[in-house]
Amino acid sequence: MEPNVYLPRLAKIIQIKEEVGGARAVKTFRTELVNGGRFDYRCGQCAMLSVFGKGEAMISISSSPLVKDFMQFSILRSGRVTAALHDMEAGDLIGIRGPYGNGFPIDDWKGKNLVFIGGGIGLAPLWSIVQTALLRRKEFGGLSLIYGARTSADIVFKDELRELKSQMPVHLSIDVAEPDWKEFIGFVPTNVLDKKPAPAGTIAITCGPPIMIKFVIKNLKDLHFEDEQIYTTVENKMKCGIGKCGRCNIGFHYVCKDGPVYSWAELRTLPQEY
Amino acid sequence: MEKTLAKKDFPQWVKKLTSWKIYLPKKDAGGRWNYAEADGEDVLETRQATLPPKTILFPQNEILLEFSKSRKGNAETLEVKEVLPPAEPTVVFGVRPCEAKAAWLLDEVFASEPRDIYYWMRRENTTLVGLACTPPPSDNCFCTSVEGSPHAEEGSDILLTDLGDKYYVRSLTAKGEALINAAKGLFEEAKPEDRKKVKAVHTESEKKIQRELKGARAVSEKLKTMFDSPFWDEEAMSCLRCGICTYICPSCHCFDINDEIIDTTPLRGKRVRTWDTCQFPDFTMHSSGHNPRPDKASRLRQRLLHKFQYFVQVYDKFMCVGCGRCITMCPVGIDIIKVLEKVRDHGA
Repeated sequence: MEPNVYLPRLAKIIQIKEEVGGARAVKTFRTELVNGGRFDYRCGQCAMLSVFGKGEAMISISSSPLVKDFMQFSILRSGRVTAALHDMEAGDLIGIRGPYGNGFPIDDWKGKNLVFIGGGIGLAPLWSIVQTALLRRKEFGGLSLIYGARTSADIVFKDELRELKSQMPVHLSIDVAEPDWKEFIGFVPTNVLDKKPAPAGTIAITCGPPIMIKFVIKNLKDLHFEDEQIYTTVENKMKCGIGKCGRCNIGFHYVCKDGPVYSWAELRTLPQEY
Repeated sequence: MEKTLAKKDFPQWVKKLTSWKIYLPKKDAGGRWNYAEADGEDVLETRQATLPPKTILFPQNEILLEFSKSRKGNAETLEVKEVLPPAEPTVVFGVRPCEAKAAWLLDEVFASEPRDIYYWMRRENTTLVGLACTPPPSDNCFCTSVEGSPHAEEGSDILLTDLGDKYYVRSLTAKGEALINAAKGLFEEAKPEDRKKVKAVHTESEKKIQRELKGARAVSEKLKTMFDSPFWDEEAMSCLRCGICTYICPSCHCFDINDEIIDTTPLRGKRVRTWDTCQFPDFTMHSSGHNPRPDKASRLRQRLLHKFQYFVQVYDKFMCVGCGRCITMCPVGIDIIKVLEKVRDHGA
């Protein structure tokens, strides 16, 4: 009997960490399959999470594939399924199917400098590759992170970012001034212009709200990055995850299977509908 | 395998197929034609059913999974069970060749890796018996403009052609042969004069198609340059976004998946797949409220581009079989042929 692609595997939530509270709450869920461990995946791939009785949502896997015993998802409380996930507790069971999508071509980037540019929850899809690059540190040139959120409270992975500062330059920003904020004030694309990452031998990898991605790309172009040096991971509403339900397409591409990772050289040739 | 079957023997053939579940176009109480189960009074007519036989291969609603929670002492367990379609051999008689061709297009989507087992089980268990259109069943038929024909064979297991007092029976697959072998005595070997007649009937039927879209491949190329054109705003102005064009379409395959709760304490429910439409705003709306296709124009464009550009780019086939249902059924008269003609002639 061939496998049923719509049948999720049962997984247990083994740890929940609150990243951001309030109206734009973010929690990080560490999960393991009920039958142990996790399935194999690549940096930048996604998984379809089920809360039975609520439905499914496509979420990027934020842990590194080099970490073998669990899968981690950092999730913004946003729709029906993500709200239900936020209401769950450690020990609760969910469904997971996947992995889906193409993932980052990390092996093509050996010897390059990597600059990660994230906004809000958009750091989650980048986190898998940030972690992997650190674990494979010798294979890459300089690493740096430019990350911003609406307010200081909205910054995800606060503890990890503090620690990350000892391993790579981390340039944070918030949209509007706050009394104790000492770093950049303004939008992420503006911070990119301010920090001026050098394009020579560099790959820029960005994820955030669609509007942020558009302006980050524009500004990277102004800093003379070539289209082939800019990568992003896009999202669209998804139901099947395997290119059949018909809704996540950008032109003739289905983001769930042909994406979600695109170089700007590729994405710019598609209709700008995301 | 090429045979003939006396028309008067058709009901006998149906009766002999005791191990198959049988559908064919029937007139319902409201006077509409639709695919319904055989009832002993079965006659084949060249009618366009309101809904294509896609409903048999890809039902409007189907259960994918069932789930239930239970409690043993303090431990909560969750059971998830797949609900596969019944593996019952099925025959659909009197399928329009364009509808069978649509199944051949759906195969590209659902049977490509990773295969959709729900569709595939039904497809494998279903034998499609096409009936060549003589004459075309709708004034809006335009199959010949989209690389089809009133006697197309793609997707069919058998193609019947009406020769007056008998059917010419061309078996195209092993599934088709099994159906003929189940009632062997009813069929005669086709004679050379039958073959000649079939050819004449087919040629004649092509001439009777009333609508035409000239240069569909050129339209496909032209669409690549029209994405950002204000053209779509104007064309979509009258659209009521009812989605009927997609629901009655033999080749539209978009679907939604949702959980339905049967009981809450303890939780018991099912995961259901339902036809969906690119014409509804919710189809693409992110949970943030952002919508990549926020208006009627972008959604009309998506329907046409999916059928005439994107699908062609990937599979080198139109995702439209030219049945004309979307033209006939649109409450405000949006006519896909006219829209595509305007695309073709745009800026010329």
